[in-house]
This record gives sequence, structure tokens and C-alpha cells, in this order.
Amino acid sequence: MTLLLMTRLLAAGVAVILLVVHRVTPHDPELIALTIVYTAGSLGVLTLVPRLQLSLAAWLVDSVAALALVVASEDWRSPFYILMVTTLILPATGLPFRRALVWGVAFALAYLGVAVYTEVDADTLESTIRLETIATHLMVPLVVVLALAYAADVLERLRGERLRAERLAVESERQRIAWELHDSAKQRVHAAHLVLSALHGQVSGDQGELVAHALAELRAAGADMDTSVAELRTPLEGRSVERLLGERAAELAPVSEAQISVRGSLGELPAHIAAHVYRIGAEALTNAVRHGAAQHVDVVLARNRSSASIEVCDDGRGLPPIRRPGSNGLRSMRARADTIGASLSIGPGAGGRGTRVSLSLPTAPDERS
Amino acid sequence: MIRILIVDDHPAMRTGLTAVLRAEPGLVPLDAAASAGDLWPTLNRTKPDVIVLDYHLPGDDGLVLCRRIKRQVPSPAVLLYSAYADASLTIPARLAGVDGLVSKAAPASEIYDAVRRVARGERVLPAISRELLDSAGEKLAPDELPILGMTLEDTPLAEMAATLGVKPNEIAHRIDRMIKRLKVEVPAPARSS
Repeated sequence: MTLLLMTRLLAAGVAVILLVVHRVTPHDPELIALTIVYTAGSLGVLTLVPRLQLSLAAWLVDSVAALALVVASEDWRSPFYILMVTTLILPATGLPFRRALVWGVAFALAYLGVAVYTEVDADTLESTIRLETIATHLMVPLVVVLALAYAADVLERLRGERLRAERLAVESERQRIAWELHDSAKQRVHAAHLVLSALHGQVSGDQGELVAHALAELRAAGADMDTSVAELRTPLEGRSVERLLGERAAELAPVSEAQISVRGSLGELPAHIAAHVYRIGAEALTNAVRHGAAQHVDVVLARNRSSASIEVCDDGRGLPPIRRPGSNGLRSMRARADTIGASLSIGPGAGGRGTRVSLSLPTAPDERS
Repeated sequence: MIRILIVDDHPAMRTGLTAVLRAEPGLVPLDAAASAGDLWPTLNRTKPDVIVLDYHLPGDDGLVLCRRIKRQVPSPAVLLYSAYADASLTIPARLAGVDGLVSKAAPASEIYDAVRRVARGERVLPAISRELLDSAGEKLAPDELPILGMTLEDTPLAEMAATLGVKPNEIAHRIDRMIKRLKVEVPAPARSS
């Protein structure tokens, strides 16, 4: 747009000076007034409504108006030629390379039309000079369009490259933080939890409670880190819990015989809470499908004024009477629920069949409802 | 008295685990190795009863290391100690000859119990469910399924080789490949640029 502003002001200046110095037509004063009005008007409108700078209709109006000035000057060797060339700037920078070229060729042809229309007879020598001049007049728009379109194309590609590089940098930084959290900080939390857990059962009374409390905190810290690591590696990126659980269900569907349904919605939740809620829901869903041998798994999400809840029910074989050694899932679900102040209940389903996992968390009223 | 060797690449985990095991009567932590390279000299020197082995180690992971430990005669019991200890690790752990699986989030009492049980020759592994078996079956080639089946039934390698009509070495190679395909992927660190 800066380029257009500068060249058009220059072109209008040239046109006005030529009209003043040479008598071109019988109606020069009107043409001068028209040039000034058109230049100011077109630049004003394009600056105030930037949308028009990329509009095909605006480009056409601009070209036709400039062409009309050329016709009004009654000869194709017109003082308005440079003004006319400035109408190429926006299409040449706004269109993809090939289309910009087509525009340039169309422009040259239109100008040829005007030249034929306004031509007056003359002798042979003049004809030769005239042919050369018209060739120049027709080539200039092509050169202008080529140069501008090429420059615009390169700029666009550079911008794309930079965006990609920035995205990659952010991505690798996320991976690095996730790795450090997991590889270093979390190992220390595990170690502290382990050492402290050796005390548990050896101290009693108030001190025993202190140890239990510290252990719970360490478990919650571990769960927090798990969620952060998962979030850094595959961010929720503002997607809703119900949508993500739906996607998880679709992932699990091919490897299981269970019918999985996900219904309801949780509405808006703060990002870190949504991350924990999703991971709890996903773990419950995965357990139901993987270990529960269920035929049906129902995930129901609900939100009212003061709380949000998720219920995952299956009709499988239910919880094992003794915890599977090495199983980490239930422990981390509880720790996650603690971190976000939610209550988690895991037990047999309706009528004592299957498993029912239900999570309920207090919330601020949903802004949407 | 149960003599224990620890393998973990993280210093906090090594010292923590050593202190916790030492605090329990009847358990004697002998030494702690930080990597596979450190393990072999220590292993030959100390001849432990139980190795508490981190799953995720730089270079070869715990499963690969366990395969190599179990090639020794007599071999110590191996307790795989992992932050990723969930049921999906059970089948590759069985193939690798792991005796027990304990989560790094477990309290000390669980580790004491697991160490004692594997030292007695018991297995401390989650039961293998139908679903787990099915999903493992999908990742394996059809001719690998009999090897999996016989491994789960504790068939000795020589007998497996005789049944399938191939050399014991070939079976061992196939088991290595199966473990590689079944194991839980630990996300790699971002490559530093």
C-alpha cells in the first residue's frame, strides 16, 4: 500500500504537470480536477477500508477508471499512462504469481485496445516510432507485474518459513521442558515419596498423620507433573473434554468389543482443570475397555450451576478384589482428583455389576449457561 | 538376608532406594549402578539375589538388560522398577524374564514385599487379561504366537526349540524382536539443536 501511495501521487503529479505544460485536449482543466479528485479519492478509500486492497472488484474499478482517464485524454500516449500502471500494484502483490501474470497480460491487451481506438493516421516514420512506443507501453506493465509478483511471492514464502521455524522452536522447547520435568523433577518426587513412605507405619499418632499428609502431597505433585508432561507433549489446546473423550473412545473402539458412548458436556473449564479431568476420564475409559471385559461403556458428562461431573460406567467384570501389582492408574486418578479438589468414587456399578467411576468437582457457574 | 543390587540412572532414586532398602531388616542393598556399563562389573563382584532394575535407562532399556542378566547362570531375580508400570508392560516383561514389576509411585512397603517374593522365586506381575493378550497378538507375526504362548507357560528355551524345530539361538533372537515390538514406548527427549 505504501508503494501504491507513493507511485500514484507521483503519477498524478506527472499527469497534472504534463496537462499544464502541454495543451493535450480542449478540456484540460476538467481533467486536472478529475485527476486530483480521483487520486485523493482512490487512495483515501483504499487506506480507510484495507479489505478493498485485496478485492478483485476494487482492482477492476481502479483499472477501468484509469483507462477512462487515458481515453478522455484522446491519445494512448497519455499523461495518464503512469497513473494507469499504478493500478497494477495491488493485483500484482495480492495475487499468486501465475494469476498476477495473467492480470498483467490482460492489462496490456486492454491498453492495446485503447491504443487502437485512439490512434490517428500519420506518416511512415512516425508509424515506426509509434510502434516502438506502443511496444514499450505494453511491455512496462508486464515488467512491473513480474517484478512485484516475484517480490511478493518471495516475501510470502519467507513469512511462511519464519512461522514454521517459530512453531518448531516452540514444539522442541515444550518437549525439552516435558523431558526435564519427567526425567529429573519427577524422579526426585518419586524418591522423596519412597523414602517418606518407609516411615509410614513406623510413626504413629499426630506424626503419623503428618507423614500421611506429606505422602498425599507428594503423590499429588507426581500427578500434577504427569498431567503437565502429557499436556506439554499432546496439548489439549482448548479442545473440550467431551470432544477429547470422544476421540479417545474412537481410538479404543477398534481394539475392543465394547460399545462405547460419550454423552453430555462439561462446558468451559479452566485449562489445567480440564487437563486433569480429561486424563482421569480417559484413564477410567481405558481401564473399562482394557481390563473390564465390558460389553457397554457409558461416559456421561454433566454440568450444572455449581458442579461438573463425569461418570464412566461399564458392565464388565468389575474391580479386582486385590489391586494388580504395579498398577498405577487408580492411584494416579485419585492423586489427580485431589489436586483439583474433586471427589472421585470408584466402585461396583448398578446392581453390583461392572464398575462405576464418578468424578465430581465444584465449579464457578458456567458463563455460557 | 536378601542381597540387592540397584540399577537406576537417576542419583536421587539410587540414594533414596538404597536408604529405604537398608532401613528394612533382612534386606541388604549392596551397590547401585547408574547404567548398563556400571552394572556388569558390580554384578560379577557382588552376585546379588535380586536386582531392582529401572525400566527406562540411557542406552539399553531395562527389558534388554534383563534379557542379558537372565542369560547368566545362576541368574538373580529381576524386579523391574518403572514410572510406566502398567499392565501393558506385563507381556514384554514376561518375555524378557522379569520376575516382578513395581511402580515408582508405590510406597516402600510394596517394594519390600515384592523384593521378598521375587527372592523366594515367586512372580509379582499383573495377571495377563484376554484383552492384553489380544492386543499383543495383533502386534506379533503369526509364527511368533507359539513362542509367546510357550513363554507364558514357562516352557524352557531348549524345549521350545525342539517343539518348533529351530535352533535355541533363533528362538532367543525372535524373543528379542518380539520384546522390541511390544514394549511401551518411552517418549524420547527433544533433540538438542
